[in-house]
Amino acid sequence: MAEEEKNVAGEEEVKILAFLCNWCSYAGADLAGVSRLQYPANVLDVRVMCTGTISPYFVIKAFQEGMDGVLVAGCHIGDCHYLKGNYMTAKRFGVLREALKFMGLEEGRIRLEWVSAAEGEKYAEVIRDFTEQIKALGPSPLRKKGAGKAGAVKA
Amino acid sequence: MSELKNIVKERLEKDADACLCLKNEEGTVLPVLICDVDSPDLDGVEIGDERYPLGKILIELQKEYPERRFAVFVRGCDERALIELAKLDQLDLDKVVMVGVACGAEQAEACGCSRPYPSEIAVGDKVEAAPDREFIEEVESLTEEERRELWRSHFSRCIKCYGCRNICPMCFCKECSLEDPHLVEPGLIPPEFPSFHIIRAMDMAGRCIDCGLCEEACPADIPLRSIYRKMQEVMEDKLDYRPGEDLESKNPLSFLGTETDIEKLEEVE
Repeated sequence: MAEEEKNVAGEEEVKILAFLCNWCSYAGADLAGVSRLQYPANVLDVRVMCTGTISPYFVIKAFQEGMDGVLVAGCHIGDCHYLKGNYMTAKRFGVLREALKFMGLEEGRIRLEWVSAAEGEKYAEVIRDFTEQIKALGPSPLRKKGAGKAGAVKA
Repeated sequence: MSELKNIVKERLEKDADACLCLKNEEGTVLPVLICDVDSPDLDGVEIGDERYPLGKILIELQKEYPERRFAVFVRGCDERALIELAKLDQLDLDKVVMVGVACGAEQAEACGCSRPYPSEIAVGDKVEAAPDREFIEEVESLTEEERRELWRSHFSRCIKCYGCRNICPMCFCKECSLEDPHLVEPGLIPPEFPSFHIIRAMDMAGRCIDCGLCEEACPADIPLRSIYRKMQEVMEDKLDYRPGEDLESKNPLSFLGTETDIEKLEEVE
């Protein structure tokens, strides 16, 4: 990961990774772009074919690599291009959220949203809202250079 | 114990080619496969307080001898493990004869399992028990930061021996995510918090049969069982699934399912 990014005011910027499904949310993000809607630039997009392909490991890996929040956005339930891919996403995230909660790992840092290709405004709103939420939480305590590694020995 | 000896003999004569059980060899309890009624191992057959994931040995035995029928002593937890393994296509239960063993009152209480007896009991008497939720409740009463620090301090003792995975009756993968260098950095002790333990917790969701062997095996006394038990509760509350309960229902995380399967999730509006 690159050096910590700072904004003009010298504050550390939070970083959010967004997994967007190719058929709905990526198109929704595209619509937000072509509609020139304003939303914070803290988001890095990753386009996936379906949110059902996103393993919880990817989310954990994103936090390990220094992300402060992870957004997963896909088609609304019932509208999945692959019919039921997002059922899996809903189940996995429900379980992952509880696991994070039990370990006190700020489950607010993960978010699951359903954004269709026509919902450019909703996408922008989700990003605005989620960025605010992550900013309120501050940099993730799970960043690699954070306390998680302090005192660790390399064998 | 001549009672056990007779049970083994009876199974070998009636419906099994071999019997997988535990024997006491001068104070050390180890698994043994008894193939005929004259075997000298028969005298040492024992069911004490020791437990062992016999299902893992059974998987290997069935791979080697797919046509043979094996009898195996099962406690409540072992039975759940065998059922769950069968659903995961690791075992053929048609070729397994289960000999049920109910845990004694003292053992059941010490172990804290919700069902310390199998569906059919051949040895021992059924004792009801309530699952021990004390630690889970204690954790849940803490604030988020206290919880994180609690787990951080527990996991800082982890020496990454993989004992929890190796003893786990439900772990059988040839390639383990915990050994993937992209997910868990090799050579780093203790393993990075919390990825190692979250990965295992997620893998145990819908699979953990709450035998508690992981916690018994852990040399660092990390309260692992409570994490996996919590995952079990989540699976039951949100997705109506109890691992090892029956052969019909499938782990909801292993297939896409229907809309009714997900209606209890708050993720679905």
